[in-house]
Amino acid sequence: MSEVKRILYLDDEENNLVAFKALFRRDYEVYTTTSPQEAVQLLNEHRFQVILSDQKMPDISGVEFFELTITDFPDAVRVLVTGYADIEAVIDAINKGGVYRYVTKPWDENDLRICIENAFDKFYSRIELKEKNNALQQANSDLEKFIYSASHDLRAPLVTIKGIIQLAKMDELGDKADGYFQMIEKSVARLDTFVQNIIHYYQNSKEESHIQKVDFHAFIDDLINQYRIYDGADAIVVKKEVVATGDFYADNYRLKIILGNLISNAIKFQDRNKESRELEISVIQNNEKVILKVGDNGIGFNATLLESTNDMLSSDTHKSPGTGVGLYLVREAIRKMGGKIQLVSNTGEHTRFIIEIPNKA
Amino acid sequence: MRKLIVHLIDDNDIDIAVNSKLLSLAKIGDEVMVYTSGAQFIENITSHYQQLNESDNIVLLDIMMPGMNGFQTMERFNALDAVMTPAFNIFMLSSSIDRNDIKNAEATPRVLQVLEKPLDVYQLRRLIEGLQ
Repeated sequence: MSEVKRILYLDDEENNLVAFKALFRRDYEVYTTTSPQEAVQLLNEHRFQVILSDQKMPDISGVEFFELTITDFPDAVRVLVTGYADIEAVIDAINKGGVYRYVTKPWDENDLRICIENAFDKFYSRIELKEKNNALQQANSDLEKFIYSASHDLRAPLVTIKGIIQLAKMDELGDKADGYFQMIEKSVARLDTFVQNIIHYYQNSKEESHIQKVDFHAFIDDLINQYRIYDGADAIVVKKEVVATGDFYADNYRLKIILGNLISNAIKFQDRNKESRELEISVIQNNEKVILKVGDNGIGFNATLLESTNDMLSSDTHKSPGTGVGLYLVREAIRKMGGKIQLVSNTGEHTRFIIEIPNKA
Repeated sequence: MRKLIVHLIDDNDIDIAVNSKLLSLAKIGDEVMVYTSGAQFIENITSHYQQLNESDNIVLLDIMMPGMNGFQTMERFNALDAVMTPAFNIFMLSSSIDRNDIKNAEATPRVLQVLEKPLDVYQLRRLIEGLQ
């Protein structure tokens, strides 16, 4: 550190100040004063890393002086000098004045020297921590800004392409063109799912929630509609049952992450060898909670994916986006909503999740 | 039956082209009016509100636009004299799925809903039917 090392020492006894200065003037830039007013003035004029103050002074106690200056000069490391071991003063000094150490008078030169060296170390590690913290916060907010703009910048052209594809489908361009557009559509859908997952991951990790009334009938229909372009979506028979008592309120956005991922998984992992492929969604809602049962007769999870899924559903071991990120998002969204998820069946014949989410009405 | 006018406000000309074609293929609206900025839209209402209010008006307003964005356009819209806008139903369009956008839109008077882009004309048709 090339910065000048400065110590301020406030004491009403001139002798102490003189002795202190003689002791440390070669190592540090030492400022001494008997006046608390002058001490404050000095603090305003220079950057001090370490402040010492006598406890027992006529106008103000050392603790009071530290307390008075803690807001304006929070970084300086404070050392209290007391003539006798006054435990009350020491407790106050630590709790109110943010004091790092105390030194008893008359001081032992070596002890005092070590104490001051430690105080400087403390100052620099505090500053370093603060700088690292700031850098971390900056990095975090940069990331936030990046994801916000990336989410829009990536999705805007993507949705334009999706619009053109929709247009091409409605415009009856002929089988060959339709075939090409279908391929583009599937690729775009995959890319879009990926971009959306990134956005979901980020937005879910922010604590804010947005409670809205949920009409499960319309909610599920809309979601299924959204996934109808997925390969093989038409082959799946959807059975939906809603039993509702009273109104249900929840974070709509997170609910969409949950059901959307489970529905798209049911479509993606359908068993193409089976004659009838089913997706069953049952909703039982009351004033306290909703119980969602989502089941399908798809291929289920293979052994390895099952393991990682179990991990994701029960602990924090699997966090990397990639394979299984959808289920990870499901679990995280449920956790944020204060709900529960259980995988009750995974036989290869049948996959079934039971989800419980509290009613925020 | 009253005439239905759809107002498309979007700075992206491809989106405008696609959406107007989608509307015409889905046979939504008797007339589609397009604007590349919120200011143009406000100006059109101010000068032609008597004619416009003889029809039903559906507004599809993009949120993300340079200059005056969708929310600022709504501020201008809501500051208009109430007699100018009785027959307007407003949907905002967003290509991001940003929940703040949704929250802001819900807090904005006269906005019925935020629709995700690309425009789902079937959903729009259901929504318009629901209005009548």
